[in-house]
Amino acid sequence: MRKIFKTVSILALASCLLHPLAAEEAAKAVFIHGATIHTVTGGTIESGAILIRDGKIAEIGADLSMPEGAEELDATGMVITPGLIDSHSHLGLGPSGGTTDDNEGSNPSTPQMRIIDSIHPTGMAPHENSFRDAVSQGVTTIIAHPGSGNVIGGQSAVLKLTGGSVDDMVLKFPADMKMAMGKKGYGAKGQLPVTRMGVAYVVRQAMVDAQDYKNSLDKYEKKKESDPDAVPPKRDLKNEAMLMVLNRELPVHIHCSRIDDILTAVRLGDEFDFFKLSLAHGDEAWKIADVLAEKGVIVVVGPRMIVYDDNDNLVNLAKVLVDAGVEINIMTDADVVQQEYLRYQAATSVRYGLDPQEALKAITINPAKLIGAEDRIGSLEAGKDADLVIFGGDPFDIQTKVCRVFINGISVFENEQ
Amino acid sequence: MKKLNNSKKVFIFCSILLSLFLTQAWIFAGDSGTVVITNGYIVTVSGQDIDGGSILIEDGIIREVGRDVQVPEGAEVIDASGKWVLPGLLQSSTDIGTGEGYTDRNSDETSSPNTAEMQITDALNPFDKDIKKATISGITSAMISPGRRNVIGGQAAVIKMRGKTAEAMAIKSPMGVKFSLGEGPKDTYGAKKQLPTTRMGEAYVVRKALVEAGEYLAKQKAYEKKKAAGEEAEAPGRNLSKEPLAALLEGKSTAFFECYRVDDIMTAMRLTDEFKLKTVLIGCAEGYKLADEIASRNIPVIVGAFGIGPRRMETQHLSLENAGILAKAGVKVAIKSDEVYGVGSLSELPLTAALAVKGGLDKVTAVRAITLTPAEIFGVADRIGSIEPGKDADIAIFSGEPLHYMSVVERVLIDGKTVFESREE
Repeated sequence: MRKIFKTVSILALASCLLHPLAAEEAAKAVFIHGATIHTVTGGTIESGAILIRDGKIAEIGADLSMPEGAEELDATGMVITPGLIDSHSHLGLGPSGGTTDDNEGSNPSTPQMRIIDSIHPTGMAPHENSFRDAVSQGVTTIIAHPGSGNVIGGQSAVLKLTGGSVDDMVLKFPADMKMAMGKKGYGAKGQLPVTRMGVAYVVRQAMVDAQDYKNSLDKYEKKKESDPDAVPPKRDLKNEAMLMVLNRELPVHIHCSRIDDILTAVRLGDEFDFFKLSLAHGDEAWKIADVLAEKGVIVVVGPRMIVYDDNDNLVNLAKVLVDAGVEINIMTDADVVQQEYLRYQAATSVRYGLDPQEALKAITINPAKLIGAEDRIGSLEAGKDADLVIFGGDPFDIQTKVCRVFINGISVFENEQ
Repeated sequence: MKKLNNSKKVFIFCSILLSLFLTQAWIFAGDSGTVVITNGYIVTVSGQDIDGGSILIEDGIIREVGRDVQVPEGAEVIDASGKWVLPGLLQSSTDIGTGEGYTDRNSDETSSPNTAEMQITDALNPFDKDIKKATISGITSAMISPGRRNVIGGQAAVIKMRGKTAEAMAIKSPMGVKFSLGEGPKDTYGAKKQLPTTRMGEAYVVRKALVEAGEYLAKQKAYEKKKAAGEEAEAPGRNLSKEPLAALLEGKSTAFFECYRVDDIMTAMRLTDEFKLKTVLIGCAEGYKLADEIASRNIPVIVGAFGIGPRRMETQHLSLENAGILAKAGVKVAIKSDEVYGVGSLSELPLTAALAVKGGLDKVTAVRAITLTPAEIFGVADRIGSIEPGKDADIAIFSGEPLHYMSVVERVLIDGKTVFESREE
């Protein structure tokens, strides 16, 4: 009983934190005007206005008039961006370095694991309000990934930071298949994979198994035409998951930092024709930026934004990749860097020369495109979800405060000052 | 291998010399001994800012600062028009230079919870890559100390980011004793079921060590007294562990307590009162809850956890407002940055100070918190921390206002010599 009460109060607390207004609020029209609006896909509108209705952006432009009955929000002198999207997060999965729920360490290949089954909807100790804190700094959507303890970690989810339960938060699931190169903990137990070539083999074998599974399914379908009593093959959750990768229905997201691991990820991508291959971290990706650009491999940069070359000179990873024509996302890897510091991650790259608009794209439209949700989020356009952030000024300036955050047209954060 | 004739040998020798000269030229620029930084916006920290000011440097020492500095003949001139000129930044309480990478650190001798006898300079590698990386953000000096795993970690030091030996790098070594209360020692020894497995166990480790150091000190004093009186006396042997702790009891050295939670901060102050220690608090995530207690004891605080990286249980209630609240209560505040990634990382000390400003600390105090204030805390303000005649010529030239995120460090001098210069794009 006590446990049930505890659960109920946590859920109630969660909905208070993440859902401060009643559902009918979403239907209300809000008219925000006077701000500099970075639409991301349609340029910057000086002294522009946005009309929010039914949770969507109804109208956006320089010369809008306020409809009767709409709530007016004067944002003169402020800056509006789309809600920020963190392309790589472990939010709600427990503290990094502690007991986390994102690595099912019983087997190096666990594509059947679903990250939404591990997420706590407000965050966990020692950062119990991490979702609320993320929203308070303008993060409205995250891509939550399994960890990198396994070679194939499982299926990722796109979550909006509002809703109260994980199921309410899901914008898209499954979003991608998370894999990870580099040495794993299995070596210490004398289990496969002990080496880096063992890691590559785990992926290769999983793809071959999925192909076999596909063949048996095809065979059954064919047999069924002539034999109504044909017995279907036994369901295999692992192969079912990898089948989505094989059929190019799921993008593949691979953790790799060292150049050898990056090259292995790209090699596997070529070999199995991975759909929308993206690399997480890519600390040494600058060494083969041209190759990645040519192959259309996306790099999700972070949490390390600045790396150093062999002569200890500073390398602005995001800028070098963008200059070479590589599409980038920027991430926190929360809580390696806390979720709310996403805009400062981007600011670090801007500080050393990345174009601010490119940096903004890397935390808005680029991640939206990566997981195929650009029809709903990632930019400020009529028809898209009304997820937006009102900043007091330059979003990348350390001193700039977040004034207001909307998700699905509902005000989810308001600065008291 | 073919034998080379003499002319070829000479040619190769000359080529090597030339290439050495070309690659190393920037390091030796300024070796003439006289350098003048002209026409910059000088933040002296100790006094008023000087717009359009110049700094005359001779033999690594600042000789003149002001608007009417004459450029001596043959001096190297560094034009700082439109730039902000600051004293080199001082990173407080870090283990920079004591390990390669993030896993192989040498700053925690975890064989015993009390290792007061350890000296951090014995773990210092002057060629560690992090030392050059630190200079890129304007850091010219650092207080390096043992980590937070041992209750009594050992002896700290203040070093410069320049020099081929620990001795050449040291400004002051040893400098104080590093203590740690809270999760660090408890987790380390608790896992082994050894003392201390609790917070009261940690306090006991400190108390016992200081009581024993007091007895050691009394023996030494008694011997000296007898000797001075001409009496026959047997000299007590040196005890390397008790010696640095005895210096704390005599008020000759400083106790640096790393602690985060309110209870640990209070324990540090309780021990301070009990043994009349000269104390500095490090980390102090919940310091804002005890600002008056800290202020009333005149204990300086090195604010260090800004919550950018993963939180521990003991840092979950940290706040960006910490530094601001402490400063307003009258506490002397220094700021450190030693997180692995992002704006809190070692190489972004000015941005960490900028975060404190976001939390309510005024800008002037924030700049002081990464220059002169820590220099005063470590007792090295006679040499570093501000731009004044007579001080070491450790200088960082910024492209703009130093705490703004778009300002970057363009040039760094240590002892009047350029150690970093940003490349033109």
